[in-house]
Amino acid sequence: MKNDNLSPLIQVKNLEKHFGDHKVLNGITVDINKGEVVCVIGPSGSGKSTFLRCLNRLDEPTDGEIIFDGENICDPHSDIDLHRQKMGMVFQQFNLFPHMTIMKNLTIAPMTLQKKSREEAEGYAMELLKRVGLADRASDYPLQLSGGQQQRIAIVRALCMKPEVMLFDEPTSALDPEMVGEVLEVMKELAHEHMTMVVVTHEMGFAREVANRVMFLDRGDFLEENTPDRFFSEPRNERLRDFLSKVL
Amino acid sequence: MWEDFKAQFILNFVNEGRWRYLTNGLLVTLKLTFFAVLLGLVIGFTIAFIRNIHADTGKLKILNFLCGVYLTIIRGTPVVVQLMIIYFVIFGSVRIDKSVTAILAFGINSGAYQAEIFRSGIQSVPKGQMEAGRSLGFSYFQTMVKIIMPQALKTTVPTLLNEVITLLKETSVAGYIALEDLTKGGDIIRSRTYSAFMPLIAVALIYLVMVLILERIVKVIERRLKKNEK
Repeated sequence: MKNDNLSPLIQVKNLEKHFGDHKVLNGITVDINKGEVVCVIGPSGSGKSTFLRCLNRLDEPTDGEIIFDGENICDPHSDIDLHRQKMGMVFQQFNLFPHMTIMKNLTIAPMTLQKKSREEAEGYAMELLKRVGLADRASDYPLQLSGGQQQRIAIVRALCMKPEVMLFDEPTSALDPEMVGEVLEVMKELAHEHMTMVVVTHEMGFAREVANRVMFLDRGDFLEENTPDRFFSEPRNERLRDFLSKVL
Repeated sequence: MWEDFKAQFILNFVNEGRWRYLTNGLLVTLKLTFFAVLLGLVIGFTIAFIRNIHADTGKLKILNFLCGVYLTIIRGTPVVVQLMIIYFVIFGSVRIDKSVTAILAFGINSGAYQAEIFRSGIQSVPKGQMEAGRSLGFSYFQTMVKIIMPQALKTTVPTLLNEVITLLKETSVAGYIALEDLTKGGDIIRSRTYSAFMPLIAVALIYLVMVLILERIVKVIERRLKKNEK
């Protein structure tokens, strides 16, 4: 499975994050390769969401480097807003803009930030909407949609910026069980199209089926990573074995 | 009884065209309220913005401190005292139009309250909205203007209109700097006719009617906003 020809899209070096005296991340080093799907799992409070949110600096790293597109985005001189345009993010709570129609949600960023024309932005948004089966909802408002539909829209909103990597922060955790499938399906499709994805998730089935690599985080330490087969069948780390015995 | 009432009415409002004290006073009151609200809007909005930037990013420390001082002083002292200080102390030696002074005083006063209204409006928008905006690549400022403000305004408008009602009533102290607003107008009639009942009740009724109209408007707008939610 491991493909050494892949070039790292994101290099994380000694990433540390403290909240006051509390150390949430203790120096994490990892490469995310182009076209790779990396799932991050771990118990709650392990720092996995913080790790993901540090990647686009929604949480400000305390120390360390994040090299994206050949530039250290933790450098105060780098323009984080520009980098974020290439890093799509999907949140647990969807965070669609409730005062805008679905179409406006999808086009506001490309039109404002990438200076796309309305026709171009709407055309691309429509294309993506069709692919997630929600083309008929373009003129609705987010709160008129179910959770699963909102999350699919949130994925499309991020994709409308044509990002190089997609960050998923527990995208199915806030959903009713019957809606988890439709969201995972969209994510699977993305993976098959070789989108680079970093996914913080509790969906072990998804990790096993779709991921190229699975990372285990616990108490701010990056303890183990492996291909999904090996990760789940022959875990080496004590804490990982313990964790897997509880969730599987 | 009726004859007496009629005589009083004629004495207080008709003789020497005394009703003009009320109508002219009403115009002054409305003018003061309108411009003071506008000035307060600008001040309030600016302060809320500064304080939010500081809360979110830790920048603008000095400005934020000054805003805090302003809010404490304005909200901790009576508006009459503020009005008199501005008129007699700050502009004491300068010849300046009284209504301009009053508009400044009431606007500066209202700004402090409007700042808090805007701030709580902005804070009522879930944190995830700012994060979603920033994650797409919008700057803090762009996210504020395009995503946070429009949502905050919805919760703010009814409260803001209530502030207009409050201000309308508060301008009744403008007489302290000899400005002839509605209240002062009624009081002048009283001092001319030596009858207090009718002019003062008339003044009260006029305020009441204006407040009721404004409250009506608040209700209609609130209903409109609720309808748009879904």
